[in-house]
Amino acid sequence: MLNALKLFFLFVCATVFHWAFAGLFARVGLSVNVILIFVTAFCALFKLPFAYSAAFICGLFLDFFSTKLFGGNAFTFTVCACIICNIAPRFDFAEPFPQMVAVFVLTWLAALLNTLLVFVFASASAWPGLLSTLGGSVVDALFAPAVFWLVKRVLGTGSIARQV
Amino acid sequence: MNMPKHPISFKTYTGHYRRRYLLPAGFLLVSFLLMILPLQGFVASVKAVLAYVFIPQIRLAHSTVQYAQNVSQTVQELLLAHQENEHLKQEIQTAQLLAAQAKDVFAENERISQLLKITPTRPWKGVWAKVAYREPTQWNTVILDKGTADGVKERSAVVTVVDGQEGLAGVVVETTENTAKVLLVRDEDFSAAVQLERGGEAGLLVGDGPRPVQIKYIPLLTHVEKGDKVYTSSSSSVFPAGILVGTVSHVREGDSFQTALTVEVTPQVSSPAVREVFVILDN
Repeated sequence: MLNALKLFFLFVCATVFHWAFAGLFARVGLSVNVILIFVTAFCALFKLPFAYSAAFICGLFLDFFSTKLFGGNAFTFTVCACIICNIAPRFDFAEPFPQMVAVFVLTWLAALLNTLLVFVFASASAWPGLLSTLGGSVVDALFAPAVFWLVKRVLGTGSIARQV
Repeated sequence: MNMPKHPISFKTYTGHYRRRYLLPAGFLLVSFLLMILPLQGFVASVKAVLAYVFIPQIRLAHSTVQYAQNVSQTVQELLLAHQENEHLKQEIQTAQLLAAQAKDVFAENERISQLLKITPTRPWKGVWAKVAYREPTQWNTVILDKGTADGVKERSAVVTVVDGQEGLAGVVVETTENTAKVLLVRDEDFSAAVQLERGGEAGLLVGDGPRPVQIKYIPLLTHVEKGDKVYTSSSSSVFPAGILVGTVSHVREGDSFQTALTVEVTPQVSSPAVREVFVILDN
Protein backbone atom coordinates (compact mmCIF):
# COMPACT_ATOMS: atom_id res chain seq x y z
CA MET A 1 0.00 0.00 0.00
CA LEU A 2 2.83 2.37 0.97
CA ASN A 3 4.64 1.54 -2.26
CA ALA A 4 1.55 2.27 -4.30
CA LEU A 5 1.23 5.63 -2.55
CA LYS A 6 4.90 6.39 -3.22
CA LEU A 7 4.50 5.55 -6.91
CA PHE A 8 1.36 7.65 -7.16
CA PHE A 9 3.04 10.57 -5.40
CA LEU A 10 6.06 10.40 -7.72
CA PHE A 11 3.84 10.23 -10.80
CA VAL A 12 1.87 13.27 -9.62
CA CYS A 13 5.16 15.11 -8.94
CA ALA A 14 6.46 14.22 -12.40
CA THR A 15 3.32 15.42 -14.19
CA VAL A 16 2.91 18.55 -12.10
CA PHE A 17 6.57 19.60 -12.45
CA HIS A 18 6.49 18.79 -16.16
CA TRP A 19 3.35 20.85 -16.72
CA ALA A 20 4.74 23.73 -14.68
CA PHE A 21 8.32 23.91 -15.98
CA ALA A 22 7.68 22.89 -19.60
CA GLY A 23 5.17 25.74 -19.91
CA LEU A 24 7.46 28.17 -18.12
CA PHE A 25 10.53 27.44 -20.27
CA ALA A 26 8.48 27.28 -23.47
CA ARG A 27 7.96 31.02 -23.06
CA VAL A 28 11.68 31.60 -23.54
CA GLY A 29 11.83 29.10 -26.39
CA LEU A 30 13.38 26.13 -24.58
CA SER A 31 12.03 22.64 -25.09
CA VAL A 32 12.38 21.33 -21.53
CA ASN A 33 11.17 17.78 -20.92
CA VAL A 34 10.95 17.45 -17.13
CA ILE A 35 8.97 14.22 -17.22
CA LEU A 36 11.86 12.56 -19.10
CA ILE A 37 14.17 13.36 -16.16
CA PHE A 38 11.71 11.60 -13.86
CA VAL A 39 11.54 8.65 -16.26
CA THR A 40 15.36 8.42 -16.25
CA ALA A 41 15.35 8.49 -12.45
CA PHE A 42 12.57 5.88 -12.28
CA CYS A 43 14.47 3.57 -14.64
CA ALA A 44 17.74 4.01 -12.76
CA LEU A 45 16.21 3.45 -9.32
CA PHE A 46 13.10 1.25 -9.77
CA LYS A 47 12.93 -2.49 -10.29
CA LEU A 48 12.41 -3.39 -13.94
CA PRO A 49 8.61 -3.95 -14.05
CA PHE A 50 7.93 -0.67 -12.23
CA ALA A 51 10.50 1.19 -14.35
CA TYR A 52 9.01 0.08 -17.69
CA SER A 53 5.43 0.67 -16.52
CA ALA A 54 6.27 4.15 -15.19
CA ALA A 55 8.02 5.10 -18.44
CA PHE A 56 5.09 3.89 -20.53
CA ILE A 57 2.48 5.69 -18.40
CA CYS A 58 4.50 8.93 -18.38
CA GLY A 59 4.70 8.68 -22.17
CA LEU A 60 0.94 8.22 -22.39
CA PHE A 61 0.53 11.31 -20.21
CA LEU A 62 2.44 13.37 -22.78
CA ASP A 63 0.51 11.73 -25.62
CA PHE A 64 -2.69 12.97 -24.06
CA PHE A 65 -1.66 16.52 -25.03
CA SER A 66 -0.43 15.58 -28.46
CA THR A 67 -2.52 16.51 -31.48
CA LYS A 68 -0.42 14.87 -34.15
CA LEU A 69 0.35 11.36 -32.98
CA PHE A 70 -0.95 9.24 -30.14
CA GLY A 71 1.48 6.69 -28.71
CA GLY A 72 4.67 8.36 -29.94
CA ASN A 73 5.85 9.53 -26.54
CA ALA A 74 4.90 6.20 -24.94
CA PHE A 75 7.08 4.45 -27.53
CA THR A 76 9.95 6.93 -27.09
CA PHE A 77 9.90 6.69 -23.30
CA THR A 78 9.79 2.88 -23.39
CA VAL A 79 12.87 2.89 -25.64
CA CYS A 80 14.58 5.30 -23.21
CA ALA A 81 13.58 2.99 -20.34
CA CYS A 82 15.13 0.00 -22.13
CA ILE A 83 18.41 1.91 -22.51
CA ILE A 84 18.57 3.14 -18.92
CA CYS A 85 17.47 -0.18 -17.40
CA ASN A 86 20.23 -1.95 -19.32
CA ILE A 87 23.03 0.51 -18.56
CA ALA A 88 21.99 1.16 -14.93
CA PRO A 89 24.02 -1.74 -13.44
CA ARG A 90 27.18 -0.41 -15.14
CA PHE A 91 26.50 3.29 -14.44
CA ASP A 92 26.96 4.96 -11.07
CA PHE A 93 23.67 6.82 -10.84
CA ALA A 94 24.42 7.85 -7.26
CA GLU A 95 26.71 10.61 -8.59
CA PRO A 96 25.30 13.81 -10.16
CA PHE A 97 27.56 13.78 -13.23
CA PRO A 98 26.37 10.42 -14.67
CA GLN A 99 22.78 11.50 -13.96
CA MET A 100 23.30 14.73 -15.91
CA VAL A 101 25.02 13.00 -18.82
CA ALA A 102 22.29 10.35 -19.06
CA VAL A 103 19.52 12.96 -19.01
CA PHE A 104 21.32 15.18 -21.55
CA VAL A 105 21.78 12.30 -23.99
CA LEU A 106 18.25 10.95 -23.46
CA THR A 107 16.69 14.38 -24.08
CA TRP A 108 18.36 14.45 -27.50
CA LEU A 109 17.44 10.85 -28.21
CA ALA A 110 13.80 11.42 -27.18
CA ALA A 111 13.54 14.61 -29.27
CA LEU A 112 15.02 12.93 -32.36
CA LEU A 113 13.01 9.73 -32.00
CA ASN A 114 9.77 11.60 -31.36
CA THR A 115 10.39 13.84 -34.38
CA LEU A 116 11.07 10.77 -36.51
CA LEU A 117 7.90 9.00 -35.32
CA VAL A 118 5.71 12.05 -35.90
CA PHE A 119 7.26 12.46 -39.35
CA VAL A 120 6.77 8.80 -40.28
CA PHE A 121 3.32 8.17 -38.80
CA ALA A 122 1.68 11.61 -38.98
CA SER A 123 3.67 13.19 -41.86
CA ALA A 124 4.18 16.29 -39.74
CA SER A 125 7.07 18.13 -38.15
CA ALA A 126 7.57 18.02 -34.38
CA TRP A 127 11.19 19.23 -34.31
CA PRO A 128 11.37 22.10 -31.82
CA GLY A 129 14.62 23.46 -33.31
CA LEU A 130 18.30 22.89 -32.66
CA LEU A 131 18.84 25.71 -30.16
CA SER A 132 15.59 24.95 -28.38
CA THR A 133 16.53 21.27 -27.96
CA LEU A 134 20.11 22.12 -26.97
CA GLY A 135 18.95 24.65 -24.36
CA GLY A 136 16.24 22.28 -23.15
CA SER A 137 18.68 19.39 -22.76
CA VAL A 138 21.07 21.60 -20.75
CA VAL A 139 18.23 22.68 -18.45
CA ASP A 140 17.10 19.04 -18.15
CA ALA A 141 20.65 18.00 -17.22
CA LEU A 142 20.83 20.73 -14.57
CA PHE A 143 17.51 19.58 -13.08
CA ALA A 144 18.60 15.92 -13.05
CA PRO A 145 20.38 15.76 -9.66
CA ALA A 146 17.41 17.40 -7.91
CA VAL A 147 14.94 14.99 -9.51
CA PHE A 148 17.13 11.95 -8.73
CA TRP A 149 17.41 13.16 -5.12
CA LEU A 150 13.63 13.55 -4.85
CA VAL A 151 12.92 10.12 -6.33
CA LYS A 152 15.57 8.48 -4.12
CA ARG A 153 14.25 10.29 -1.05
CA VAL A 154 10.64 9.24 -1.65
CA LEU A 155 11.54 5.72 -2.74
CA GLY A 156 13.86 4.90 0.16
CA THR A 157 14.84 1.23 0.24
CA GLY A 158 11.34 -0.17 -0.30
CA SER A 159 10.52 -3.25 -2.32
CA ILE A 160 10.14 -1.29 -5.55
CA ALA A 161 13.71 0.05 -5.35
CA ARG A 162 16.32 -1.59 -7.54
CA GLN A 163 18.79 -3.74 -5.60
CA VAL A 164 22.24 -2.75 -6.83
CA MET B 1 20.77 -13.10 -23.24
CA ASN B 2 21.95 -12.26 -19.71
CA MET B 3 21.52 -15.34 -17.54
CA PRO B 4 22.11 -14.97 -13.81
CA LYS B 5 25.40 -16.63 -12.76
CA HIS B 6 24.12 -18.48 -9.68
CA PRO B 7 22.01 -21.62 -10.16
CA ILE B 8 18.32 -20.77 -10.41
CA SER B 9 15.09 -22.62 -11.10
CA PHE B 10 13.32 -22.55 -14.46
CA LYS B 11 10.46 -20.54 -12.93
CA THR B 12 12.81 -17.83 -11.63
CA TYR B 13 14.57 -17.68 -14.97
CA THR B 14 11.34 -17.26 -16.96
CA GLY B 15 10.27 -14.51 -14.53
CA HIS B 16 13.58 -12.74 -15.10
CA TYR B 17 13.17 -13.15 -18.88
CA ARG B 18 9.61 -11.82 -18.75
CA ARG B 19 10.61 -8.71 -16.80
CA ARG B 20 13.66 -7.97 -18.89
CA TYR B 21 12.32 -8.53 -22.40
CA LEU B 22 8.61 -9.30 -22.61
CA LEU B 23 7.36 -6.32 -20.60
CA PRO B 24 9.14 -3.60 -22.64
CA ALA B 25 8.33 -5.50 -25.84
CA GLY B 26 4.66 -5.49 -24.82
CA PHE B 27 4.71 -1.75 -24.10
CA LEU B 28 6.48 -1.04 -27.39
CA LEU B 29 3.87 -3.11 -29.22
CA VAL B 30 0.96 -1.28 -27.56
CA SER B 31 2.57 2.10 -28.36
CA PHE B 32 3.12 1.01 -31.95
CA LEU B 33 -0.51 -0.08 -32.25
CA LEU B 34 -1.68 3.25 -30.82
CA MET B 35 0.46 5.05 -33.40
CA ILE B 36 -0.79 3.16 -36.42
CA LEU B 37 -4.47 3.17 -35.44
CA PRO B 38 -6.57 6.12 -36.67
CA LEU B 39 -7.13 8.90 -34.10
CA GLN B 40 -10.84 8.10 -33.97
CA GLY B 41 -12.52 5.05 -32.44
CA PHE B 42 -10.35 3.04 -30.05
CA VAL B 43 -7.64 5.68 -29.75
CA ALA B 44 -10.23 8.38 -29.06
CA SER B 45 -11.67 6.17 -26.29
CA VAL B 46 -8.21 5.73 -24.73
CA LYS B 47 -7.70 9.49 -24.87
CA ALA B 48 -11.09 10.07 -23.23
CA VAL B 49 -10.17 7.71 -20.39
CA LEU B 50 -6.82 9.46 -19.96
CA ALA B 51 -8.63 12.79 -19.83
CA TYR B 52 -10.42 11.64 -16.69
CA VAL B 53 -7.30 10.05 -15.17
CA PHE B 54 -4.99 13.00 -15.72
CA ILE B 55 -7.31 15.93 -15.03
CA PRO B 56 -6.49 16.10 -11.27
CA GLN B 57 -2.76 16.46 -12.03
CA ILE B 58 -3.45 19.09 -14.67
CA ARG B 59 -5.57 21.11 -12.27
CA LEU B 60 -3.00 20.80 -9.49
CA ALA B 61 -0.15 21.82 -11.79
CA HIS B 62 -2.07 24.73 -13.21
CA SER B 63 -3.08 26.07 -9.81
CA THR B 64 0.51 25.65 -8.54
CA VAL B 65 1.93 27.58 -11.48
CA GLN B 66 -0.71 30.26 -11.14
CA TYR B 67 0.02 30.58 -7.42
CA ALA B 68 3.76 30.84 -8.02
CA GLN B 69 3.25 33.40 -10.76
CA ASN B 70 0.80 35.33 -8.63
CA VAL B 71 3.35 35.88 -5.84
CA SER B 72 5.75 37.86 -8.02
CA GLN B 73 2.90 39.44 -9.94
CA THR B 74 1.22 40.63 -6.75
CA VAL B 75 4.40 42.34 -5.56
CA GLN B 76 4.87 44.04 -8.92
CA GLU B 77 1.24 45.03 -9.12
CA LEU B 78 1.27 46.53 -5.65
CA LEU B 79 4.15 48.75 -6.67
CA LEU B 80 2.28 50.02 -9.72
CA ALA B 81 -1.25 49.87 -8.32
CA HIS B 82 -1.94 53.58 -7.75
CA GLN B 83 -0.57 54.73 -11.09
CA GLU B 84 -2.39 51.94 -12.90
CA ASN B 85 -5.61 52.69 -11.04
CA GLU B 86 -5.64 56.30 -12.24
CA HIS B 87 -4.89 55.20 -15.78
CA LEU B 88 -7.62 52.55 -15.69
CA LYS B 89 -10.20 55.04 -14.41
CA GLN B 90 -9.57 57.16 -17.48
CA GLU B 91 -9.75 54.10 -19.71
CA ILE B 92 -13.05 53.03 -18.16
CA GLN B 93 -14.53 56.46 -18.85
CA THR B 94 -13.33 56.28 -22.44
CA ALA B 95 -14.67 52.73 -22.78
CA GLN B 96 -18.05 53.78 -21.39
CA LEU B 97 -18.19 56.58 -23.93
CA LEU B 98 -17.25 54.21 -26.75
CA ALA B 99 -19.76 51.60 -25.53
CA ALA B 100 -22.53 54.19 -25.66
CA GLN B 101 -21.48 55.12 -29.20
CA ALA B 102 -21.21 51.45 -30.15
CA LYS B 103 -24.72 50.80 -28.87
CA ASP B 104 -26.05 53.48 -31.22
CA VAL B 105 -23.93 52.13 -34.09
CA PHE B 106 -25.19 48.58 -33.51
CA ALA B 107 -28.79 49.78 -33.41
CA GLU B 108 -28.23 51.74 -36.61
CA ASN B 109 -26.51 48.75 -38.19
CA GLU B 110 -29.40 46.48 -37.30
CA ARG B 111 -31.92 48.97 -38.69
CA ILE B 112 -30.05 49.36 -41.97
CA SER B 113 -29.46 45.59 -42.17
CA GLN B 114 -33.19 44.98 -41.82
CA LEU B 115 -33.89 47.52 -44.56
CA LEU B 116 -31.32 45.88 -46.84
CA LYS B 117 -32.37 42.38 -45.73
CA ILE B 118 -28.86 41.28 -44.76
CA THR B 119 -27.70 39.57 -41.58
CA PRO B 120 -26.40 42.19 -39.14
CA THR B 121 -22.98 41.81 -37.49
CA ARG B 122 -23.42 40.70 -33.91
CA PRO B 123 -21.09 41.62 -31.06
CA TRP B 124 -18.81 38.79 -29.93
CA LYS B 125 -19.71 36.77 -26.88
CA GLY B 126 -17.08 34.66 -25.19
CA VAL B 127 -14.78 34.02 -22.27
CA TRP B 128 -11.25 35.07 -21.43
CA ALA B 129 -8.88 32.18 -20.82
CA LYS B 130 -5.24 31.75 -19.93
CA VAL B 131 -2.71 29.45 -21.58
CA ALA B 132 -2.21 26.71 -19.01
CA TYR B 133 0.28 24.54 -20.87
CA ARG B 134 2.47 24.38 -23.93
CA GLU B 135 3.69 21.06 -25.20
CA PRO B 136 7.47 21.42 -25.61
CA THR B 137 7.52 19.42 -28.82
CA GLN B 138 4.58 21.26 -30.35
CA TRP B 139 4.98 25.00 -30.21
CA ASN B 140 1.81 25.67 -32.14
CA THR B 141 -0.59 23.93 -29.79
CA VAL B 142 -1.61 25.32 -26.40
CA ILE B 143 -3.98 24.16 -23.67
CA LEU B 144 -6.33 26.74 -22.15
CA ASP B 145 -7.65 26.74 -18.59
CA LYS B 146 -11.29 26.92 -19.73
CA GLY B 147 -13.36 24.07 -21.10
CA THR B 148 -16.89 22.91 -21.74
CA ALA B 149 -17.89 23.97 -18.22
CA ASP B 150 -17.34 27.58 -19.35
CA GLY B 151 -19.13 27.06 -22.67
CA VAL B 152 -16.04 26.48 -24.82
CA LYS B 153 -16.81 24.21 -27.76
CA GLU B 154 -14.77 22.63 -30.50
CA ARG B 155 -14.28 24.92 -33.52
CA SER B 156 -14.55 28.05 -31.35
CA ALA B 157 -12.46 30.92 -32.68
CA VAL B 158 -9.69 32.17 -30.39
CA VAL B 159 -8.43 35.76 -30.53
CA THR B 160 -5.97 37.75 -28.48
CA VAL B 161 -4.79 41.33 -28.23
CA VAL B 162 -1.26 42.24 -29.25
CA ASP B 163 -0.07 45.85 -29.03
CA GLY B 164 -3.64 47.08 -28.60
CA GLN B 165 -4.89 45.33 -31.74
CA GLU B 166 -6.92 42.15 -31.69
CA GLY B 167 -5.68 39.31 -33.83
CA LEU B 168 -6.61 35.75 -34.68
CA ALA B 169 -4.78 33.29 -32.41
CA GLY B 170 -6.25 29.94 -33.47
CA VAL B 171 -9.13 27.55 -33.13
CA VAL B 172 -10.26 25.13 -30.43
CA VAL B 173 -9.84 21.52 -31.60
CA GLU B 174 -10.46 19.50 -28.45
CA THR B 175 -12.24 20.18 -25.19
CA THR B 176 -12.55 18.62 -21.77
CA GLU B 177 -14.59 19.92 -18.85
CA ASN B 178 -11.92 22.40 -17.74
CA THR B 179 -9.42 22.58 -20.58
CA ALA B 180 -9.42 23.28 -24.29
CA LYS B 181 -6.73 22.49 -26.84
CA VAL B 182 -6.07 25.25 -29.37
CA LEU B 183 -4.34 24.96 -32.73
CA LEU B 184 -2.48 28.21 -33.35
CA VAL B 185 -2.35 29.93 -36.72
CA ARG B 186 1.11 28.57 -37.57
CA ASP B 187 0.14 24.92 -37.05
CA GLU B 188 0.25 22.71 -40.12
CA ASP B 189 -3.34 21.58 -39.52
CA PHE B 190 -4.70 25.12 -39.25
CA SER B 191 -6.69 26.71 -42.06
CA ALA B 192 -9.07 29.67 -42.33
CA ALA B 193 -10.98 31.52 -45.02
CA VAL B 194 -9.48 35.00 -45.25
CA GLN B 195 -9.66 38.08 -47.42
CA LEU B 196 -7.19 40.77 -48.37
CA GLU B 197 -7.81 44.29 -47.14
CA ARG B 198 -6.91 45.99 -50.44
CA GLY B 199 -9.20 44.31 -52.94
CA GLY B 200 -11.25 41.97 -50.81
CA GLU B 201 -10.03 38.86 -52.67
CA ALA B 202 -10.67 35.71 -50.67
CA GLY B 203 -8.25 32.85 -50.17
CA LEU B 204 -7.44 30.00 -47.86
CA LEU B 205 -4.88 30.68 -45.13
CA VAL B 206 -2.90 27.63 -44.07
CA GLY B 207 -0.25 27.25 -41.39
CA ASP B 208 2.98 25.48 -42.25
CA GLY B 209 4.79 24.86 -38.97
CA PRO B 210 8.19 26.55 -38.98
CA ARG B 211 7.71 27.87 -42.55
CA PRO B 212 5.71 31.06 -43.33
CA VAL B 213 1.93 31.04 -43.14
CA GLN B 214 0.45 31.12 -46.66
CA ILE B 215 -2.72 32.22 -48.40
CA LYS B 216 -3.61 30.04 -51.33
CA TYR B 217 -6.04 30.45 -54.23
CA ILE B 218 -5.60 34.23 -54.64
CA PRO B 219 -6.35 35.02 -58.32
CA LEU B 220 -3.20 35.62 -60.41
CA LEU B 221 -3.85 39.25 -61.39
CA THR B 222 -4.66 40.39 -57.87
CA HIS B 223 -2.76 43.48 -56.75
CA VAL B 224 -1.14 42.52 -53.45
CA GLU B 225 1.70 44.34 -51.76
CA LYS B 226 3.92 43.67 -48.80
CA GLY B 227 2.29 45.17 -45.70
CA ASP B 228 -1.32 44.64 -46.82
CA LYS B 229 -3.51 43.48 -43.99
CA VAL B 230 -5.36 40.16 -44.03
CA TYR B 231 -8.69 39.63 -42.26
CA THR B 232 -10.97 36.65 -41.68
CA SER B 233 -13.59 36.33 -44.37
CA SER B 234 -17.35 36.42 -43.94
CA SER B 235 -17.47 33.12 -45.84
CA SER B 236 -15.80 31.32 -42.92
CA SER B 237 -18.08 29.05 -40.92
CA VAL B 238 -15.72 29.05 -37.93
CA PHE B 239 -14.34 32.57 -37.60
CA PRO B 240 -16.32 35.82 -37.41
CA ALA B 241 -15.50 38.17 -40.26
CA GLY B 242 -13.08 41.05 -39.81
CA ILE B 243 -10.56 39.63 -37.35
CA LEU B 244 -7.03 40.73 -38.25
CA VAL B 245 -4.99 37.65 -39.15
CA GLY B 246 -1.69 39.28 -40.14
CA THR B 247 0.14 41.29 -42.78
CA VAL B 248 1.46 40.23 -46.17
CA SER B 249 5.20 39.59 -45.96
CA HIS B 250 5.91 38.24 -49.43
CA VAL B 251 4.08 37.60 -52.68
CA ARG B 252 5.28 34.60 -54.62
CA GLU B 253 5.05 35.37 -58.33
CA GLY B 254 3.23 32.59 -60.12
CA ASP B 255 5.14 30.40 -62.54
CA SER B 256 3.74 29.99 -66.03
CA PHE B 257 1.76 26.87 -65.09
CA GLN B 258 0.23 28.33 -61.93
CA THR B 259 -3.32 29.62 -61.80
CA ALA B 260 -3.19 31.36 -58.43
CA LEU B 261 -0.84 33.48 -56.34
CA THR B 262 0.66 32.26 -53.09
CA VAL B 263 0.90 35.01 -50.52
CA GLU B 264 3.04 34.67 -47.40
CA VAL B 265 1.69 36.25 -44.24
CA THR B 266 3.26 37.28 -40.94
CA PRO B 267 0.62 36.45 -38.33
CA GLN B 268 -0.51 39.32 -36.12
CA VAL B 269 -0.22 36.93 -33.15
CA SER B 270 3.02 34.99 -32.91
CA SER B 271 2.83 31.62 -31.15
CA PRO B 272 4.94 32.63 -28.08
CA ALA B 273 2.79 35.79 -27.65
CA VAL B 274 -0.35 33.74 -26.97
CA ARG B 275 -0.88 33.92 -23.21
CA GLU B 276 -4.33 35.33 -22.49
CA VAL B 277 -6.98 34.77 -25.12
CA PHE B 278 -10.63 35.45 -25.79
CA VAL B 279 -12.60 32.41 -26.93
CA ILE B 280 -15.57 33.44 -29.06
CA LEU B 281 -18.47 31.25 -28.01
CA ASP B 282 -21.38 32.40 -30.08
CA ASN B 283 -20.31 32.87 -33.68
